[in-house]
Amino acid sequence: MAVRTRRRIRVRWFGVAFILLWSLVPIYWTINTSLQTEAQAGGKPSHYLPPTPTLKNYTSLLGGSGAVPDQIRRSTINILVECGAATIVTVLLSTLAAYAFARMTFRGRNVLFYTVLGTMAFPAYTTLIPLYRILGDFGLVNTYTGIVLVYVSGFLPLATWIMYNYLTSLPSAIEEAGQVDGANRIQILWHVLLPLALPGIVSTAIITFLFSWTQFLFPLVLSTDLSTQPLTVVVQALQGQHVVPSTLLSAAGVIAIAVPAVIGLTLNRYIVSGLLSGSVK
Amino acid sequence: MPSIRQARASAVVGTLSCLVLLGTACSGGGNTASSATKGVKINVALHIPSPPKASLDAFTKATGITVNWTNIDWDSLQTKIAAGSTAKTYFADATDVDWSRVGQLGKLNWFYPMETYVDTKSLGADMPQLASFTIGGHVVGIPFDASFLVTTVNKKMFTKAGVTKMPTTIDQYTQDLKQIKAKGGVQYPLNIPFAAAEGLSTYWYQTTAAFGGTILDGQGKPQFATPDSPGYKAAQWMVDALKQGLVPPGNINVSDSQGQQTLMAQGQVASVFGDYSGNVGSLYDVPSSSKVVDQVDYLATPGVSGPGPNVSNPDGIGIPRTAKYPAAAAKFIQWFTSAANQADFAGINGPDKALKSYNFPSRLTAVDQLAAKGKLIKGSALSAMLKSSARPVFPAGAPSWYPQFSNAVYTNLHSAATGSLSVDAAIKAIAGTANRLASGG
Repeated sequence: MAVRTRRRIRVRWFGVAFILLWSLVPIYWTINTSLQTEAQAGGKPSHYLPPTPTLKNYTSLLGGSGAVPDQIRRSTINILVECGAATIVTVLLSTLAAYAFARMTFRGRNVLFYTVLGTMAFPAYTTLIPLYRILGDFGLVNTYTGIVLVYVSGFLPLATWIMYNYLTSLPSAIEEAGQVDGANRIQILWHVLLPLALPGIVSTAIITFLFSWTQFLFPLVLSTDLSTQPLTVVVQALQGQHVVPSTLLSAAGVIAIAVPAVIGLTLNRYIVSGLLSGSVK
Repeated sequence: MPSIRQARASAVVGTLSCLVLLGTACSGGGNTASSATKGVKINVALHIPSPPKASLDAFTKATGITVNWTNIDWDSLQTKIAAGSTAKTYFADATDVDWSRVGQLGKLNWFYPMETYVDTKSLGADMPQLASFTIGGHVVGIPFDASFLVTTVNKKMFTKAGVTKMPTTIDQYTQDLKQIKAKGGVQYPLNIPFAAAEGLSTYWYQTTAAFGGTILDGQGKPQFATPDSPGYKAAQWMVDALKQGLVPPGNINVSDSQGQQTLMAQGQVASVFGDYSGNVGSLYDVPSSSKVVDQVDYLATPGVSGPGPNVSNPDGIGIPRTAKYPAAAAKFIQWFTSAANQADFAGINGPDKALKSYNFPSRLTAVDQLAAKGKLIKGSALSAMLKSSARPVFPAGAPSWYPQFSNAVYTNLHSAATGSLSVDAAIKAIAGTANRLASGG
């Protein structure tokens, strides 16, 4: 029995190690390359550790002059603006919508709620061309507004669902106590429910931000130049030029994953709790 | 609880919003092209870096047209072209027209015919590859980069193996490769990129041309289905080269550019049969990326009984139907593809006027100027090939179903290389796909 248990543990650890290696080696290699000079990175045999680690690629991207650093800096600002705005708007709208679905009684509530959730079943890419056309007609192609609106429309159903689960998990007696004290719905929402639902709001914000950050196809199509292109699109474009040094490209890749990596590593408990909310009553 | 009046107001606002959206979705796209050519700003979206700022400023000064250059990688650019054209929404005034997409673009009418804006008839003599951009009598784009496939050889390795006379036929070439292997110069002398990717398809097209044939006829019917056809022989030759140990076994997963950079440039192989034109100057003779500087030369394509053709895979630039300023875009294209600018972009007047990653001018006069001034490495050999032996992959234009066809080519040839399919089965599968697509299936 003990032998079987030990074997099972070994197999489990082997599986975990395999998945970790599979996932982390490419990221490690990108970081390793970004800390080398171009001559070191192109040398044979390859260096598994940077021989003389240098931050030159990062300083030249973030502080240097030239077309590539300019593109990286501008697209970093773009992605922060687009993801930040999409997150704020999504959290705001999803909280209000979730409150209405969770606490208010009106005709067609369930139909409306499940219709909103049902839109998550549609592959997002099927909406690309219609959205592109609509944004084109409204003059919103290549604008922050257009990209943010598309992100919000894409992530609102999931955010609403997460917030709905949080709000329904809160005891209604708290809200009733507020009503007894004479508070209206907005006051109850603002002063009573939102403080209690803060973990849910944080989860929703993080998930929305991360999903927005990893978008590629929508911003690729909806932005036409550097004024709105996010980092994900620009890094790919640089890769396609075949003239940008691999060390510089790797540094750009590390910058592109740094923000989501930090968020994911430091706030992962919120992500897990947000996605699991409502799964256990 | 909201009042009835509030609820009604919300309903009215909601209904109006829906109607506006519906109306928008059903509208015509809202693009109106302007014939203005002065004081306008055009967007140019290409997969290559922008020309130097001073050059673009000079163009603006001369024409009053400001250029906003957007650099997007090739694959993403094709997505943007398809999305913009399908949604009838503006994304650029001038953009990429790849040789392999000409059939599709012509059929879908996504680009303005260039002959409306440019005297394409007079261009033909100086731009041999203009034919690759002509479909149904219309020119969909103007070539700006004359890429074609060439054979490259590491002369040092050939000489070391005792090859004193460079091969002119494919039999002689194969024999020389075997000799290099036998003499221990290099274990695997030939690079064929067998990864299931576009580079494998184009390599086969070039090899087929060397065997004296074409891939498809004017109706899109396969010309390679029988064992005595050049295309069949080319596929057999490629797979045999792998089986006989002339090609590194790992090349099953090597793409075209990977093989050039990690094998040929590093001295791991002695030859690439279907290499990129310009690679000697831009890769093999560049000390930072190569261990074979001054060792590699272009070779006239070894054919059946003498030098064979070089198939073209050039890049062009055209005007999408959704462009805001097509006339201004045409003026830019004329400027961008002029002989003087092409020579500048290729470095005739120094690096300040050169365009990074620009391979090879599409105008013969520009190539001749570069070769005369010694600014194009192996320029005279390339110029001769461009003039006399470069020809379109598909003489009647790439079919509209080219992407599906190419997919069938590289997946089946890859399977033949791995041994999961015989060459005969692979060729039958490719021919079957071509027949089905050609008959509208």
